[in-house]
Amino acid sequence: MENRPLEYDYTVTKMFMFTTIALGIVGMLIGVILAFQLAYPGLNLMLGEGLAEYTNFSRLRPLHTDAVIFGFTLSGIFATWYYVGQRVLKVSMAESKLLMFLGKLHFWLYIITVVAVVISLFAGVTTSKEYAEFEWPIDIAIVVVWVLFGMSIFGLIGIRREKSLYISVWYYIATFLGIAMLYLFNNMEIPTIMASAPDGSHVGGNWWHSISMYAGTNDALVQWWYGHNAVAFGFTVPIVAMIYYFLPKESGQAIYSYKLSLLSFWGLMFLYLWAGGHHLLYSTVPDWMQTMGSIFSVILILPSWGSAINMLLTMKGEWQQVAASPLIKFMILASTFYMFSTLEGPIQAIKSVNAIAHFTDWIVGHVHDGVLGWVGFMIMAALFHMAPRVFKREIYSKSLMTSQFWIQTLGVVLYFTSMWIAGITQGMMWRAHDEFGNLAYSFIDTVTVLHPYYTIRGVGGLLYLVGFFMFAYNIYKTMSARPVEESELQSASPMGA
Amino acid sequence: MDIAQLQAYGYFALTVFLVIGLYGYIYHLYSKRKNSDGVDYEEYSNMALHDDIDDTPVASISDDKKK
Amino acid sequence: MFHWLEKHPFFFSVGVFLVIAFAGLVEILPSFAQASRPVIGTKPYSILETTGRQIYIKNSCNACHSQLIRPFKSETDRYGHYSLSGEYAYDRPFLWGSKRTGPDLMRVGNYRTTDWHESHMKDPSGVVPGSVMPAYRWMYSNIADIPTAYAEQLTNAQFFSVPYNEPIPMKDGTTEVVKMANNVTDAHAMALAEAKEIAVDMKDQNVKDAVARGEIPEIVALIAYLNSLK
Repeated sequence: MENRPLEYDYTVTKMFMFTTIALGIVGMLIGVILAFQLAYPGLNLMLGEGLAEYTNFSRLRPLHTDAVIFGFTLSGIFATWYYVGQRVLKVSMAESKLLMFLGKLHFWLYIITVVAVVISLFAGVTTSKEYAEFEWPIDIAIVVVWVLFGMSIFGLIGIRREKSLYISVWYYIATFLGIAMLYLFNNMEIPTIMASAPDGSHVGGNWWHSISMYAGTNDALVQWWYGHNAVAFGFTVPIVAMIYYFLPKESGQAIYSYKLSLLSFWGLMFLYLWAGGHHLLYSTVPDWMQTMGSIFSVILILPSWGSAINMLLTMKGEWQQVAASPLIKFMILASTFYMFSTLEGPIQAIKSVNAIAHFTDWIVGHVHDGVLGWVGFMIMAALFHMAPRVFKREIYSKSLMTSQFWIQTLGVVLYFTSMWIAGITQGMMWRAHDEFGNLAYSFIDTVTVLHPYYTIRGVGGLLYLVGFFMFAYNIYKTMSARPVEESELQSASPMGA
Repeated sequence: MDIAQLQAYGYFALTVFLVIGLYGYIYHLYSKRKNSDGVDYEEYSNMALHDDIDDTPVASISDDKKK
Repeated sequence: MFHWLEKHPFFFSVGVFLVIAFAGLVEILPSFAQASRPVIGTKPYSILETTGRQIYIKNSCNACHSQLIRPFKSETDRYGHYSLSGEYAYDRPFLWGSKRTGPDLMRVGNYRTTDWHESHMKDPSGVVPGSVMPAYRWMYSNIADIPTAYAEQLTNAQFFSVPYNEPIPMKDGTTEVVKMANNVTDAHAMALAEAKEIAVDMKDQNVKDAVARGEIPEIVALIAYLNSLK
């Protein structure tokens, strides 16, 4: 044993790969249920009247968003960090007992937090702030998990062999810092147990309850500064980190322009934080902030497309790989969807467009072409790439991967097209006046008209979920597929029929 | 001077500083093919392509210590 | 200089942090210096309204209903006067929402009654054919949590100086006082007094009986909150 050559240690990666898949299934399954509940409201009672409180739309909705953001995506970020981090810094987790311990602690605390979140959201314990629904005890646990993630990042960097940090590591560092800052400021809250009754008697009440430090408009401002940038530092920055590693590695091509990747990094860091105001157009926050939000959202196209074009051009001269490898297909489609949603977002942030789009399903559509098309595809591609290296076996089935790709692509297309139509239809109907200047439609008219689109959206989501089950099965079977040699793992991943 | 004025001046000064920083960075990146360590920026892509634990680092930490 | 930063992870991280914190420093911090001031006629929430607001949050009503009327003719025609910043001065957290699967509720108290809410929450599509809203029948039997609401009122008063037990100027030139209890027993009595006024207008015999027994079903508190939205 003494003389065994040093190897990368993927123990923690494996653990987080497991939660990526498990929580992905949970989040997407709930999403599909929600979609069909809007099309067929009877499904709110799918487990009977007695459990209606726990199966109705409003109770499940925060579970869906949080399972996808903090379950699926965050697990994917952690899994890839513990993989990419070691490799580009050329240092193994096995070299430091402390980092190994912290990594495992990180995982188990994360699991405990996830369980607490699921229980509390089912019970209706929520602060109501989107993607920050957790009450203060869970917030504290999340901060601890996050600090452990930071210790792992800077610990590995501390013992690295490679002097410079690869661009992906930049993005992981930014993820860590960005979320830390946003989460702390948005979740400033006062637990209500700190108050005392004027006559000094015992008050009682739920010990976990708290209220926000900020009121009304200020609270909205901080929430959407957070909400928008949680998307930035959860759904954009770390996913860019992944594609900058996995696409060059899988295709064997160097990044088209490393310098452009550095420039886009700083551009994205500076610009993204300003754009939060576009969630609050025509609200009661000061006008200049709304305008800033609009303008910066449009400028944000530059660094986003800088990264996206850089990824696509990385394939220059090697486009036959897109046809040959389903794994490359996933990543190329992901960067295409990235370009697409970073163009769609700024369009929605223009004030006159936002007047129609805000509060409608078009926004829901936008989120989903980003998350299903860009985040989901990239994380699945990352797991597909890591699986053979982590398990030292070839990917179980290439044809299953290809079918999954097409089924899910169809699902995403059905999803966003139906939501575009639904959103614009509803937005236009809300504002329509008749010849006498009265409102042309009652609110319920604008709901019933959406039924066909809600159904199509549900089908789209279902197709994506089916694809995700195929993905989970493929990864599961990979664990017992044909073992491969180290030499087969240099670039393109080995795949079985 | 009230807080709004401070905010405006601070905002302006910082923006000018960052614009100069950004253009300085672009100039730096594209005027010099190699950085101060003599490494071509585009070489850094190899950190991903040659990332086995026994591959030679693009620029090794231990090189620094030898100097 | 730039390359030096890339090789020193600590200073690199400081640099990244400054760049991302810049927007927040400029946009958000200064506006906090000016606290949100209530407009004339905006009152803090009473004990039963606070309870109802917690039930609204517990069931994520804000996932489908906004409380923000934008300054467009189509919105003011439909929902009433557009929203003013000061009207939210006592909203912790804010409940603007981000999606209108159902209509805005900012001023729902102006045009819906206790009776309407009671029938609607029990069977939404029976009242509004084609509605996709789920029914909330458990609220008719679940008992509302008054102590937590009272603790919230106390926190608001003690940490954020929300003016309970103080005269508040109203639009017609008079003043009103929103009372807050001295202890949790009084708080429950005050909530029950409010609940009785609501229950008079309700039809559900179980709810009426519960209130007569001194218990407050969640639906009563929720309706108290919805009626206060004006």
